[in-house]
Amino acid sequence: MGRKSGRTLPEQVGLYLFLGITSLIMVAPFLWVFLTSFKRSTEIVTETPQLLPLVWTLENYLKLPKVAPFVRFFLNSILVSGVSTLFIAFGSAACGYVFAKYRFRGRNFLFFLVISTILIPLQTYIVPLYLLTWKLGWINTYQGLIFPLIIMSSGIFFLRQNIMSIPDELIDAARVDGASEWRVFHSVILPLSLSPIAAISIVNWVYTWSLFIWPLIVANSTEKFTMELGLMYFQREYAVDYGGIMAACVITLLPVLVVFLMFRTRIIEGVAFTGMKH
Amino acid sequence: MRTVERLTRSQLGFLWSIMMPVIALFIIIRVLPVLVVLLMSFTNYNMNRPLVRFLPYQNFTRLFGDPNFVTAFVNSTEFVLVAVPVEIVLGLAFAIYLNRKVRFESLFETLYFLPYIVPMVPAAIIWKWIYAPGTYGLANYLLDLMGLPRVGWMSTPQISLLAVIGIHVWKQLGFFVIIFLVGLKNIPASYREAALVDGATRWQVTRRVEIPLLKPVILFGVVMATIWAWSAFTEVYIMSQGTDISTGAEIQVMVTRIYAEGFLYFNMGYASAISFVLFVVSLLFVGLQFRLFRERSA
Repeated sequence: MGRKSGRTLPEQVGLYLFLGITSLIMVAPFLWVFLTSFKRSTEIVTETPQLLPLVWTLENYLKLPKVAPFVRFFLNSILVSGVSTLFIAFGSAACGYVFAKYRFRGRNFLFFLVISTILIPLQTYIVPLYLLTWKLGWINTYQGLIFPLIIMSSGIFFLRQNIMSIPDELIDAARVDGASEWRVFHSVILPLSLSPIAAISIVNWVYTWSLFIWPLIVANSTEKFTMELGLMYFQREYAVDYGGIMAACVITLLPVLVVFLMFRTRIIEGVAFTGMKH
Repeated sequence: MRTVERLTRSQLGFLWSIMMPVIALFIIIRVLPVLVVLLMSFTNYNMNRPLVRFLPYQNFTRLFGDPNFVTAFVNSTEFVLVAVPVEIVLGLAFAIYLNRKVRFESLFETLYFLPYIVPMVPAAIIWKWIYAPGTYGLANYLLDLMGLPRVGWMSTPQISLLAVIGIHVWKQLGFFVIIFLVGLKNIPASYREAALVDGATRWQVTRRVEIPLLKPVILFGVVMATIWAWSAFTEVYIMSQGTDISTGAEIQVMVTRIYAEGFLYFNMGYASAISFVLFVVSLLFVGLQFRLFRERSA
């Protein structure tokens, strides 16, 4: 805007002090954990903790694969989040296209059905969901871990809103050229919706990576543990190994942090719309 | 929007192949479980017991005599009553200050938002360590440095619950900052300038122009905050685990009760009754908020 802020100097100082201190409080726990994960154990459990490690060491990280199968946990998390995100990206786009551009009887009812449970958290209906998984024989399987995560009300809603703004003329032109609907979807709708699809996919990736209560009840052997579960068990078993726990925390946080810093604006846009819930 | 009058065969084929599985999935893994949990709350269903009886009211009368449930209900209520106002007020404050043409705005935005995006398990473990007893915990160490008495973060029940609520607020705050900031940016600058020209102070502009126009976003924020506070689980679960924590039973909330009854004792019917209550109270709160906001703006 180029307009001067019109603040006096004390106002200016007060404003930046407020923003600086509050944002520092928000990230201080991460900084502390990050620095601590590079300290030797004698520097961690001490009466006089220092901010920076006296000696930087990787021992906390290097011992992790020896005490628990963290590589496996990590790959499991990638599998669960990855499969879920593929389903959500494709399903939201296709379903959003149908709701945005097709007129058929029952459309409003079906749309209502899709978004009716948007505000109901998983925790409230987790008992029947677990029983369903149990009846299917999917307790402690990857299918069981993934299947409640392959649909997303807010994803369909978000893509519908975006696809509605694609001009009908573009779609009709493709149809006149004799393209099938799959072809229209593939060559008109998808290329024009990449940005919202990316936003939804990233938000879903972060959501599924962080989900805890569902893996907690469905995965009951370590080879099916996700990173969150593995971290929780490690923390319970090795309660005094602060260095190891902090290193494991950093590894769990890192994929989300990297994704966040890479796609900051998309994530913020997606989260502001979806609230990051299914 | 112009729409197709009659669907061609190709379109019908596409429609069916997309909608059938998606709608079926929504019914099977969203709608039905919600209905089933309501029905199950009137039974004594237990995974280890084949006989199922219909209990018209017993589960619900039992809830009121169950000290664990009463504790959880009171704690969850406190959770909502503390977390929601703090999140909304702090979220508004941060957003309003960030919106005042500050330099490095996106940096501050990112820092505020960071806790919201990271998983709760490592975040709660980090906080648990900050709250650790003695001077091993950062919180007490800082109190020592400032010459203040140490606090039994995880050994005094009242404080433990507030400490957990603190984690929850710290974690969710970024979401509210973001939605309020988006809302503020959607208010045309001319509104603010008109008020400033008329001699209004900054604070008056905030109170008389920005907050009233932000009302729909605030309502949305309050609804989300309420639902999330009622359904808090991970932070409480992580906090109440481990040998050094003596307050596990005192800080339990509604969802940790559902988890314990349903998945530790397999009393699925009774766990469903707790879900039913959780469902009803969160709906009540949400309805109440809609009413309050409508009356205020009328």
